[in-house]
Amino acid sequence: MQRSVLVLVIMSVIMLAFLPWIASDVMLQFAINTLLLATLAQSWNILGGFAGYVSFGNSVFYGLGTYGTAIAMAQFGLPFWVGLMLGALLAVICALIVGLPILRLRGPYFAIATLGLSGVMGAIVSNMDIAGANIGLILPLTRADPMFYELSLGLLVVTTVCVAWLSMSRFGMALIAIREDEDAAGTMGVNTTRYKVAALVLASLFTSIAGGIHAYWITFVDPASAFDPTLNVRMVIMAVFGGSGTVFGPVIGSFLLSTIYELLAFWISTAAALLFGVVIVLAVLFMPKGIADLALAKEPGWRYFLRNVREHRL
Amino acid sequence: MSATAVPVLEGRRLTKRFQGLVSIDDVSFSLAENEVLGLIGPNGAGKTTLVNMISGTIRADHGSIFFKGQPIDHLRPFQRAHLGISRTFQVMKPFPGLSVLDNVVVGALFGTGGGETSIARARESAREWIEFTGLTHRIGQSAEALGGPDRKRLEFAKALALNPKLLLLDEVMAGLNLVEVDEVVGLVRKVRERGVSILIIEHVMKAIRHLSDRVMVLHHGEKIAEGEPSAVLSDPRVVAAYLGTRRT
Amino acid sequence: MLLAQVLLNGVLLGALYGLMALGMALVWGVLNIVNLAHGALIMLGGYVVYYCYTLLGIDPLLALPVAMASMFATGYLLQRFLLNLIVRGALLNTLLITFGLDVVITYLGQVVFTADFRTINPSYSGANFMLLGLTVPVLRLIAFGIALLLSSALWFLLNKSGLGRAIRATAQNLVAARLYGVDPRQVYAVTFGIGAALAGAAGGLYGMISHLTPYIGSSLTAKSFVIAILGGLANPFKVILGGIVVGVAESLAALYIGPTYTDVVSFLLLVVILVVRPAHALRAA
Repeated sequence: MQRSVLVLVIMSVIMLAFLPWIASDVMLQFAINTLLLATLAQSWNILGGFAGYVSFGNSVFYGLGTYGTAIAMAQFGLPFWVGLMLGALLAVICALIVGLPILRLRGPYFAIATLGLSGVMGAIVSNMDIAGANIGLILPLTRADPMFYELSLGLLVVTTVCVAWLSMSRFGMALIAIREDEDAAGTMGVNTTRYKVAALVLASLFTSIAGGIHAYWITFVDPASAFDPTLNVRMVIMAVFGGSGTVFGPVIGSFLLSTIYELLAFWISTAAALLFGVVIVLAVLFMPKGIADLALAKEPGWRYFLRNVREHRL
Repeated sequence: MSATAVPVLEGRRLTKRFQGLVSIDDVSFSLAENEVLGLIGPNGAGKTTLVNMISGTIRADHGSIFFKGQPIDHLRPFQRAHLGISRTFQVMKPFPGLSVLDNVVVGALFGTGGGETSIARARESAREWIEFTGLTHRIGQSAEALGGPDRKRLEFAKALALNPKLLLLDEVMAGLNLVEVDEVVGLVRKVRERGVSILIIEHVMKAIRHLSDRVMVLHHGEKIAEGEPSAVLSDPRVVAAYLGTRRT
Repeated sequence: MLLAQVLLNGVLLGALYGLMALGMALVWGVLNIVNLAHGALIMLGGYVVYYCYTLLGIDPLLALPVAMASMFATGYLLQRFLLNLIVRGALLNTLLITFGLDVVITYLGQVVFTADFRTINPSYSGANFMLLGLTVPVLRLIAFGIALLLSSALWFLLNKSGLGRAIRATAQNLVAARLYGVDPRQVYAVTFGIGAALAGAAGGLYGMISHLTPYIGSSLTAKSFVIAILGGLANPFKVILGGIVVGVAESLAALYIGPTYTDVVSFLLLVVILVVRPAHALRAA
């Protein structure tokens, strides 16, 4: 990584860390949401962007993180950090158990199987008494938005540092080889199963912690929001919009899309989701490799957009 | 039990069927240390299937494969690569989105014995292999951008970067002109001088004749001849197989 | 007896599920697009029939061809002017763009149709008769019949007509199809149109048997996907059969495990099939 980029990133993080002292309550809440979403997108990027395994089921890990924290705090009165660890542990165990069979699938089969898993998990949780069944759980109330903000920021930084390390490591190279051609990677000595499962575990870890933070912040969890299928799609879109398989793409994509959505929701509340859909369609059409690729493109804007259409049209 | 007699690679009575059709029928063969075995036969004879079985992408229905005297039938492709078995693909498979250098780095990072642990050292050795195959002028380009002959070179460099003990070459010369064929023949010779054993599938008979110590001929999945190259190539059954007359 | 009744309901409903999946399987098989907006198209078809009935007083069954025609046009235009532009892109991109379409259609639906529950209630909607001690709901039987009829029609279209030959050729090999004077852009658009038309018919029937909201799309997409995998992408009758399997499994799950699990059943089925028989599933692609 270039030194100038590094300096810029560190400066931005330091400036962001001071946000709670200047931002309004509403803005801080928006910021927490955005940071958590960016963490989800960045975690998705580990398996989806680097290894090319498009998961629509990371909400399973998010939900387990949410519920691990909620159960620990609401049912057993344990401290927050124990809850976070419990949630993370549940998610990692789930990733290990589920990963082996499911990572044998490829392409759309993997994508939809993961989507299915999140549905199955939601149904299981909503039938468990310890998880408050359909009603959900209420966590102890804490009014400490600045703390949640700094936690979320810290988590995003850790996740991104991990991805940056990944992009320069042997592990990352294995994932990229798997993305480019899994069979060829295997014959070249890459233990594809091990690296795929490791990537899933890593993704599940960060995703579940984000879920745990969100649960304590909102102080309420229920199956519908914890295993929300649209959350899956949102994180994928943010990662792809920014540039999947890059270090900063998913973060930038999340920041931009969250802001766009928030502004749309502010100006024209009913049509926000509609316009969001339009943004997705246009983004896929004109810049399928994301903002990161657009930023590096040699030709000016419109020619770049046309080239993408030309390359992919029939 | 003399140590010298253990072949690098041995196939015993290998059979493979695809949906009822026999692709490899009871084929046995062996390859000695530092030997070059030519594998020829008309299209559809089962040559690539045999290579796939050795590299582990498909499994035999019957029979066993031994590497340095040890059975490897239960090993997955990456484990065979770690033992030192490396291959090229007839349908070339560079990682399309990666540069030439990174394509070769993958081989160095994960090859024989588990590969290089440091990225820097893997790059170093990848550079050497790229130079060895004459691709240095393309090192930073994306693999997708390469033309036919350069793709062959890349395929070769990738396979070599694993630092193999056994190299399986599946038609690395197809589509090359005479000058380029001579170049590749030279490369294969150089590889052999490094002590690598080689199984080479080729339709270019001149190359087979120049390179192979022995030649084995497959036809309809059966081994119909084996032996010294000039003798095998003039065998009437082999000629008949290539000309397409029915076997008698 | 209860079991037999549940099985009958499952079979009748399952054929309708199969009809839902038919269009998705066709588009997937020929265009290699996993259309995540397929359920939204089913939803649109349902509303076309609903408004034909409530506003124009057309009998819902007679309105089915109207729904099919209008959905064909919608599908044709979508493919011709939007999806054809990215059809050679990465799989993820086709998934995302069709997801984007799903969002757009769903929220347009919310604006135009409102979020209220709608049911299409013709006079015969509650009718049923007894056969061998089992209650046979007339509407479900009709839906079953229409599903069989349309799958047969699709089979004939694909296997016995010039258009079908062009579609199959395009699915096999784009370049070769071009050589035979087939314009793939046109064939793709027509194929997607046919898929949408089948979705339209399924939506109308679904609106009569169940209910409509703008949000039913995503769960129907998921169901269609599962069935398309179960039945494979090549043979319409197998897709209907796949639908029946899911329909029966759902009915049994509702009976033995509890109704909250019905939606999960198809996914569980999918995960099990994919994991136990991946080779089968992978060949279908």
